[in-house]
Amino acid sequence: MHTALEGVSFDACAGTFLSVVGPSGCGKSTLLHIAAGLLQPTRGSVFVFGQRLDGVNHRASYMFQQDALLPWKNVRENVALGLTFRGRSAAESNQLAAEWIRRVGLDGFGDSYPAQLSGGMRKRVAMAQSWIVDPDIVLMDEPFAALDVHTRLRMENEILDLWAGSGKTVLFITHDLEEAIGLSDEVAVLSVGPGSRIIARHKVDLARPRNLLDIRTESRFQELYKTIWSGLRQEVLRSYERD
Amino acid sequence: MSGIRTSLLQTVLGVSLLAAWESAVRLGAIDKFFFPLPSAIAVRVWDWISSGSIGPHLATTLLEALLAFVIGVATGVTGGFALARMPGLARLLDPYIRVANALPRVVLAPIFLLWFGLGIWSKVALGVTVVFFIVFFNTYQGVKEVDRVWIDNARMLGASERQLMRHVLAPSALSWIFSSLHISIGFAMIAVVVGEYLGASSGVGYVIAQAEGVFDTTGVFAGMTVLSAVVLAVGAGVNRLERWLLRWKA
Repeated sequence: MHTALEGVSFDACAGTFLSVVGPSGCGKSTLLHIAAGLLQPTRGSVFVFGQRLDGVNHRASYMFQQDALLPWKNVRENVALGLTFRGRSAAESNQLAAEWIRRVGLDGFGDSYPAQLSGGMRKRVAMAQSWIVDPDIVLMDEPFAALDVHTRLRMENEILDLWAGSGKTVLFITHDLEEAIGLSDEVAVLSVGPGSRIIARHKVDLARPRNLLDIRTESRFQELYKTIWSGLRQEVLRSYERD
Repeated sequence: MSGIRTSLLQTVLGVSLLAAWESAVRLGAIDKFFFPLPSAIAVRVWDWISSGSIGPHLATTLLEALLAFVIGVATGVTGGFALARMPGLARLLDPYIRVANALPRVVLAPIFLLWFGLGIWSKVALGVTVVFFIVFFNTYQGVKEVDRVWIDNARMLGASERQLMRHVLAPSALSWIFSSLHISIGFAMIAVVVGEYLGASSGVGYVIAQAEGVFDTTGVFAGMTVLSAVVLAVGAGVNRLERWLLRWKA
């Protein structure tokens, strides 16, 4: 029996963008799976807007690290999947899907299959797929880890545009501290596993709207980076020792 | 260009093999009794087709194979899905399925003849035992090996168990099922022909058995030729269907 997380207790303020960073293998994905209700914690419980979570968290949608699009459905069908499952009419689903396809910049690709798209385009489809159902909470598990640096920056900017003013709570998991600071209102640091816990939480007081292309050179960003990194560094070093 | 070249070479290879065979027989190098003239086989096949005498036999064989295929695929897919979704039941039945599958199918033919008689159903039953296991194992594997993230994603998007089946599990298993269809069509034909060969009153297998009974090797070879052609034609049809159903595989 491997204990990925132990004694992790934390909360996310409604409407904020919270990132959890930690060295690889520290149980970040486990944490998100528990928040999604895809995994039952062996001890403890999850409360979503004051209600104890039982089964899948239907107020949340999840953007996975891996490619989760169904390869046998075209872009429109993939985007509309959540609406189909909720029993919305085909006409309504199609119209909403077309809107979202436009919003994520994939106009004209509605009939393409995932295998015909680039990695960045597939992430856009996944983004539309998880946002179209209008969730209160968006869970993201290193969704852009597989993309090249420039595509990644663009996607991060687009996520911020989508999120701004939406009132949604975002729980974002990453091992990239720059990404976490750039996107979030708050960054939580998870210790190295097994038996990881939250060892620090830092408010990110950078003004919004932010442009991630420029933000890394700001002095406040670098200050925050130094502060958080000093704690994270220890954990990363410990994770090296363990390997 | 290379495609045309390949088919040209293939044609040359086939024609020269047949020519070598024909001349070896005509020169008396090999015995005509065991290896009839390819031209004689072609003439026989043409006779059968032009007189229409092969028609009823072919229809019987095709009907048997089709029934065996449809019943075998339906039961195989259902069984594969059911066991993949019920791991407890799968564990329970596992040794019995292995034993049943280990049995050489041909030995069942005499039993089926006794159980189901000389008509088409003993052949259909034999075909079903072959098709069922191929499709069953492929479906089981296909459902088992569905990418976990597809299921998680669908569940997060609100899929019910039935929707999960329809939108995720079934399409994912489809490509596995299809790879089994190619094999099972061929095997269904083999099984019913073996059944006919062992005891029947109609069918291509029966024609071959009759020809063999009177040492008419030309008739045996002509029967084989007709069978191969039919299996190839059916296989091509399945290929087209597969290309359409699995068109998302870019």
